[in-house]
Amino acid sequence: MELILTLKEDITVPVELDAILPEKIQDMSEEDIKNIEIPQGRARIKIGDIFDVELKDSEIPKMTVKNSSAKLKRIGEGMTTGEIVVEGDAGMHLGVEMKGGKIVVNGNADNWAGQGMKGGEIIIKGNAEDYLGSTYRGGYKGMSGGTLIVEGDAGHEIGEHMTNGVIHVKGSAKSLTGIHLSGGIIIIDGDVGDRIGGEMIKGAIVVKGKVGNVLPTFKFEGIVEDPVIKIRKKDEGVKVEGKFYKYSGDYCLTKPKGQLYISVDSNPDLRK
Amino acid sequence: MEYIIKNGIVFDPLNNIDGEKMDICVRDGVIVESVSNEAKEIDVSGCVVMPGGIDPHTHIAGPKVNTGRIMRPEDSYLDIYNKKGFKIGTGFSIPTTYKTGYEYSEMGYTTAFEAAMPPLKAKHVHEEFVDTPQVDKGALTLFGNNWIVMDYLKEGNYELCAAYVAWVLNASKGFAIKIVNPGGTEAWGWGKNVHGLDDPNPYFNITGREIVRGLTIVNEMLGLPHSVHVHPNDLGHPGNWKTTIETMDCAKDIEPKPKYGKRETIYHNAHLQFHSYGGTSWRDFESRGVEIAEHINKSNHITIDVGQITLDETTTMTADGPMEYDLHMSTGNKWANCDVELETGSGVVPFHYSPKGPVYSVQWAIGLDIFLNTDTDKVLLTTDHPNGGPFIRYSRIIAWLMSKKYRDYWLNEKVHKWAKARSSVGDCDKEYTMYEVAKISRANPAKALGLSLERGHLGVGAIADIAVYDIDPEEKDANTIEKAFRYAKYTFKNGKMVVKDGSVVKEVFGDTIHVNVKINEELEKELMKDLKERFKRDYTIQMDNYPVPNELARSWRSINIDATDIS
Repeated sequence: MELILTLKEDITVPVELDAILPEKIQDMSEEDIKNIEIPQGRARIKIGDIFDVELKDSEIPKMTVKNSSAKLKRIGEGMTTGEIVVEGDAGMHLGVEMKGGKIVVNGNADNWAGQGMKGGEIIIKGNAEDYLGSTYRGGYKGMSGGTLIVEGDAGHEIGEHMTNGVIHVKGSAKSLTGIHLSGGIIIIDGDVGDRIGGEMIKGAIVVKGKVGNVLPTFKFEGIVEDPVIKIRKKDEGVKVEGKFYKYSGDYCLTKPKGQLYISVDSNPDLRK
Repeated sequence: MEYIIKNGIVFDPLNNIDGEKMDICVRDGVIVESVSNEAKEIDVSGCVVMPGGIDPHTHIAGPKVNTGRIMRPEDSYLDIYNKKGFKIGTGFSIPTTYKTGYEYSEMGYTTAFEAAMPPLKAKHVHEEFVDTPQVDKGALTLFGNNWIVMDYLKEGNYELCAAYVAWVLNASKGFAIKIVNPGGTEAWGWGKNVHGLDDPNPYFNITGREIVRGLTIVNEMLGLPHSVHVHPNDLGHPGNWKTTIETMDCAKDIEPKPKYGKRETIYHNAHLQFHSYGGTSWRDFESRGVEIAEHINKSNHITIDVGQITLDETTTMTADGPMEYDLHMSTGNKWANCDVELETGSGVVPFHYSPKGPVYSVQWAIGLDIFLNTDTDKVLLTTDHPNGGPFIRYSRIIAWLMSKKYRDYWLNEKVHKWAKARSSVGDCDKEYTMYEVAKISRANPAKALGLSLERGHLGVGAIADIAVYDIDPEEKDANTIEKAFRYAKYTFKNGKMVVKDGSVVKEVFGDTIHVNVKINEELEKELMKDLKERFKRDYTIQMDNYPVPNELARSWRSINIDATDIS
């Protein structure tokens, strides 16, 4: 069953959509769905108040949000299976704590996309903002599985406290990429800002573009070509192509095992 | 308002009632012989009736609890209390004040003691007590690293020390003397710690032995209801069990002389689980719970509470500053540290006791070793909330104790194999009876705290704090036990029904219990000479601004102690 929600008109007060997931609506009628209560600001409204609802047959549990707005928050929170397609922008907390399934956003996503994600896949065709694949405020267990792909740019502190999984940003990222990283791989095709990998203890960050700087608490290990990145010895490894400066760190912590790969071609002056 | 609670199966160890079917009558907040015909009748056939629970050692109010709340928004996110008509509360291991009160009440608890109150920050503790509903509460005042106490004890001036302790108890509206890592927290101010009972700290050059012994003498001179409440040195270090036994025995010869209550012991060891570690490092770490238990069984001057590990993600907080630093270094997790001028210090570190962790599993087993091998007249049920786990897990601990099957299930299926190999839990067949559960959660705490005259029992004249659990006394199914003790069928606080079928139905605000010690005027004059000088020279606060003002409680329940015989 596929559910198609079309936003009737642009909204200004944010709406939280965590009550509605593809797996939850399989046995529901259009009427049932229209009557699901959701919060808008401090009021409670019904799905039918702001959306046109349409049901279609589909092989997999699916949900499409058309005419979407950045005011639609918590899309796909806790999702375990199925697919969500967002036509337009997605608001904060996209796919928070999701365990499986797939979310595709044909637009931008706001802060905290994929926060505490445990599995599944999120593809953001536009840009993502800050705290992509991070942990809850104050927490120390971030994204622990799954794949997050951003075709545009990402913001600050992406992959904060990440413990497993992959984040691939095809554009560039801002400061503190992979802060407190303790597992998993972050690949940035574009440039990154300052303080990359601050307090990372494990995991790997690959930068193909230009870096702002490398913290003095990282140790230079040499230049590597086409490395296969493994977090644990048993891992199959992820192969990345190109020539990289390899650093280990962050040595502000005891016995860190973090790996930092920075493209030689894009940063010819880094080691001078 | 009158109630008659009919046909319950009553467990009241202080009155030697072991599972008798009887009626309990309540009038005006007190248990009475009989009530009039107008009394509201509540039939509790087949249910267990006990006195309201008493938590003798918990951290529910004050600066370090609040620091924990502030530094852990992610804990707030884990659990939400949201019921119509009541204050919303959040937090799993460090719940907000209202949630704390509601949840204690849901469990049938009616009294709780905050176990570490720095005198300088006493106002904060009492401010939070004002907002903690459903339970009577009190706070134990910290003395073990106080400069003035250490100076007097070093001089051997017990009279002035007693006068000072009395003055601080009055000023901070405290209930008893708490000692945390004697000498060690002060050493932390110098970036050090003390190791063992006979290691003198910097500058004051005083040992843990002198402090514990000195304050025990002072405690009995004053005749306080509770004994000294001690968190010995070397908490959480492998091999610390020897220090623990030495500390237990360092004041063995002193006679209990309470001027209120019926206490027979002079020493209370807090969260013993953290002090019963064998081995020399975390590699050969093992349980010494049985040895410690045997030692307690042959000593008559000790009570203990366990501080059971519940294998949850929790927040550790203690006035033992150096120990929290060690913990922070071992996990790399966030850490808060605080020094309270002249008095004490503290630390807060979030901690996840994972069942898969070998060390944590052994810690879990050590707590059970102590529970299962110690004389049940001397054990008090605690998790050292939130250090070993949140207090809402008391029901699970009771299930572990009452059902060997459940214990073995955890031992074999859930925890790391070290637990079985390095403790005696697997070999022990003991199962707690309902009577023994009533002892460790009601009778023993009441007696150890010196409050057994009016609470912890259901005799005529006692405060009508009553818990009714929907459970068969012979029940062995762990899930039923856990559920029954987590959500009481009824809880009565001061004769008012506050919980029905596991939900809070009425919000009441209990009293704040404190001692009010009167000392000899001559002695007080002499103390004031020293104290005024101290405040002028060392404190950043004026002496007049130091005491807790009277308005910082909904209602005070004062225990007056006349200690004018000290001169």
